[in-house]
Amino acid sequence: MQAYILRRLMLMIPTLLGITIVVFAVMASSPGGISAQALIEGQNLEPQAKKALEDYYNRRYGLDQPAPIQYLRWINNISPIGFTLDKNHQIDGFSFFKGSDLGTSFRYGRPVLDIILERVPITLLLNIITIPIIYAIAISIGVRAATQRGRSFDIGSSVIMLGFWSIPTMLAGVLLIGFFASDQYWHWFPTSGLSTREALDMPFLPHWSSAFDIVILFVAMVAGTLISLYISQVYSAKIRMIFMALLGAGLGIAMGNALPGEHSIVVTLMLAILVAGIFAAIAYTDYQAFRSLSMALIGTIVGLIIAPLLMQGDYVRGFLFDRLWHLALPVICLSYGGFAFLTKLTRTAVLENLRADYARTARAKGVADELILWRHVFRNSLLPLITVSATLLPSLLAGSVIVESIFSIEGMGKLAIEAVKARDRELVLSITFVSGLLTLVSYLIADLCYAIADPRVSYE
Amino acid sequence: MSKTSQDISTNRTLQNQSYFKRIFTEVLTHWTARIGFGWIAILVIIAVFAPFLASSHPLLMSQQGQWSSPILAHLTPADATILAAFIAGLVLFFLKIRFLTKLAILLSVIFVSGLISSFTITPPELTIYEQYRENQSAQKYDWVVYAPVPYSPKDYLRDYGDTGLENPLADQDRTHWAGTEENGADVLSRMIHASRIALGIGFVATGIAMLIGIFIGGIMGYFSGVADMIGMRLVEIFEAIPTLFLLLTFVAFFGRSLYIMMIIIGITSWPGYARFVRAEFLRLREQEFVQSAIACGLPLRSILFRHILPNGIAPILVAASFGVASAILAEATLSFLGLGLVDDPSWGQMLNQAVQSATFNWWMAAFPGGAIFLTVFAYNLIGETMRDAIDPYVKKTTN
Repeated sequence: MQAYILRRLMLMIPTLLGITIVVFAVMASSPGGISAQALIEGQNLEPQAKKALEDYYNRRYGLDQPAPIQYLRWINNISPIGFTLDKNHQIDGFSFFKGSDLGTSFRYGRPVLDIILERVPITLLLNIITIPIIYAIAISIGVRAATQRGRSFDIGSSVIMLGFWSIPTMLAGVLLIGFFASDQYWHWFPTSGLSTREALDMPFLPHWSSAFDIVILFVAMVAGTLISLYISQVYSAKIRMIFMALLGAGLGIAMGNALPGEHSIVVTLMLAILVAGIFAAIAYTDYQAFRSLSMALIGTIVGLIIAPLLMQGDYVRGFLFDRLWHLALPVICLSYGGFAFLTKLTRTAVLENLRADYARTARAKGVADELILWRHVFRNSLLPLITVSATLLPSLLAGSVIVESIFSIEGMGKLAIEAVKARDRELVLSITFVSGLLTLVSYLIADLCYAIADPRVSYE
Repeated sequence: MSKTSQDISTNRTLQNQSYFKRIFTEVLTHWTARIGFGWIAILVIIAVFAPFLASSHPLLMSQQGQWSSPILAHLTPADATILAAFIAGLVLFFLKIRFLTKLAILLSVIFVSGLISSFTITPPELTIYEQYRENQSAQKYDWVVYAPVPYSPKDYLRDYGDTGLENPLADQDRTHWAGTEENGADVLSRMIHASRIALGIGFVATGIAMLIGIFIGGIMGYFSGVADMIGMRLVEIFEAIPTLFLLLTFVAFFGRSLYIMMIIIGITSWPGYARFVRAEFLRLREQEFVQSAIACGLPLRSILFRHILPNGIAPILVAASFGVASAILAEATLSFLGLGLVDDPSWGQMLNQAVQSATFNWWMAAFPGGAIFLTVFAYNLIGETMRDAIDPYVKKTTN
């Protein structure tokens, strides 16, 4: 195994070299290219100042050198083994322990490593929250679609998922911000950033001034969850639907009243019908796990909405809650696109295994259907899902470029756009390098997980 | 009983058709694919006749008994080329000749008409959109026939002193079906003209990506060995760079022309096709018909492109359908990030406009965004249906 990992790690080096060469070639061959002139273009400077700045850039970053030399210098800088340079950027020795240096950004004037270390955790946070959500939803729908093959749930869910996949992230982001974060409609969520300025001074967990409020909040939450859970489990579809439709209509009317400006009855009614319809549809489905979970979630949220109306004391939001509040919309934007692909994959994998001989044997033995599905079939269907998790990361990284720029989150994606727009050689190359490295490492991890999940696979 | 005999007869007719045609007819029987093709067809017609659907220039008018058609005078060479290509495509569709010949004729028609029109047609440099409305209100015309959407995409309605940002259908006198943007231009008209960019980018970028992918993938799959090693490393490199990032770099450094964007999206999205083609070629290379073609001493060109490629084209077409969707998305994303076209409206750029304005105007986001969604959805539906149609496993179990 170690030998395999080592070989894979060694194979990464040529690929990473190739990646950076491609990006560097694009930059170098463009009109204007990477030169001091292109960097200071557009700044309104006097000729002497311009000349001085050009000289400065040339001296500092070696921009007057031919492109291949520039690239080789960069490679030498980032590789831990290589030539050491003296003050005039001339080679004066060879060292095995010189350490790697990602250079200094043109635009920010700071070490690239510092900037990237600042930004990477933010993008990874977004993605690490998103991936489990995508998997949970995709698996729950995909397995159901496979067992219901050819029926309306299967066809309906596949078309809806494909629809979700086709919604451009920008559209979803713009509409979500416009309707749920701007003060023209519902100002429920913050428009930008990852935390409010005050939240940085807050304690980590939320705090309430009186214990009574905590009790109310807790009771409302638990009561809401339990009531809707009870209804979803015990009552028939008709009663469930009536309950949820009434709840939805109430929420819709509340939403209509919360709109700023004059209240239009038509809009309120339409909202009430819309929310009631969605809730009734959730109550109608006979997919029990999905129904119970969504109804319990709705119950909890309703409890959370009602509780503050009864509370008297004031409370401090706390850092954690503030962060979650800021993350809600970006995570929605990032996650919905991944469903379609994974759902389809889950469905095919489960279908294939449901028809396999071992599943038939188990059925013939008299094992319960549920048990066959989750104990035998599902476990075997997990393999393709594991492999795919690797390809998910690059697409999420790309997705976060859009999401971060819409929600002004200072992550890698936004940094990438800024770097490219500023023609910042060091930053562009380093971002390529880091995201390429992340991608390749995630491929490797996926392959290793594959071996762990499937004992037949071995890399000896 | 009758059902089975019918089945047999349809099977027999199916067997007489080529594989490609069989897939195509099968795809067309699904309602999802029909919806997809229907929307694309509507879009193509809208795109081809865009200047006649949305323009401030009257289609036909009569001034002191003299008939004239200002719209024809303001047609650009691009408009004329697109019209010529559309008519040629329509005629070719009903002719019974080989597909490649059709493609060659179509491309040459586009080239020749583009060349001729760029020399012969010179639209007036300065267009004054207001003149028709002013003349009409001064009653200088006997009668005027306007386009269904009587506003050009760059007609900012200065004569009305418009401040823009008008809700859809807010004004009784002038109908803006989708409202107006900040400068006062009609959103629907801009969308109609932008449909050309979306379609053009989709087809051309995917075409380029397919060409590169088939070439590299074919070489990798057929020759394997060293060629395969190098090719796969190349594919790996291009797949490990986030495509969007590579696109951003390309566009930011190379400028923002429509044609450059098409080429760039094309050359950043070929690795997927190369993988598919390689797999198909690897599989088909060992089959008897290829072996016998080699034994016959056929030239390599013939083996690769007449024997292997047509048999392995189906999975590539599926990928292409999804590829068109992602090319449209890529263009929209670039435009949205402010790296798109500068002078012409595109759907993504209109979304960007919606974000840039100080207030949230839902019609500026919802209509262009909805158009992107519908188009991407249509291509994805077609791709999905095609994938099911070529998958023998799915087919076997549904019958």
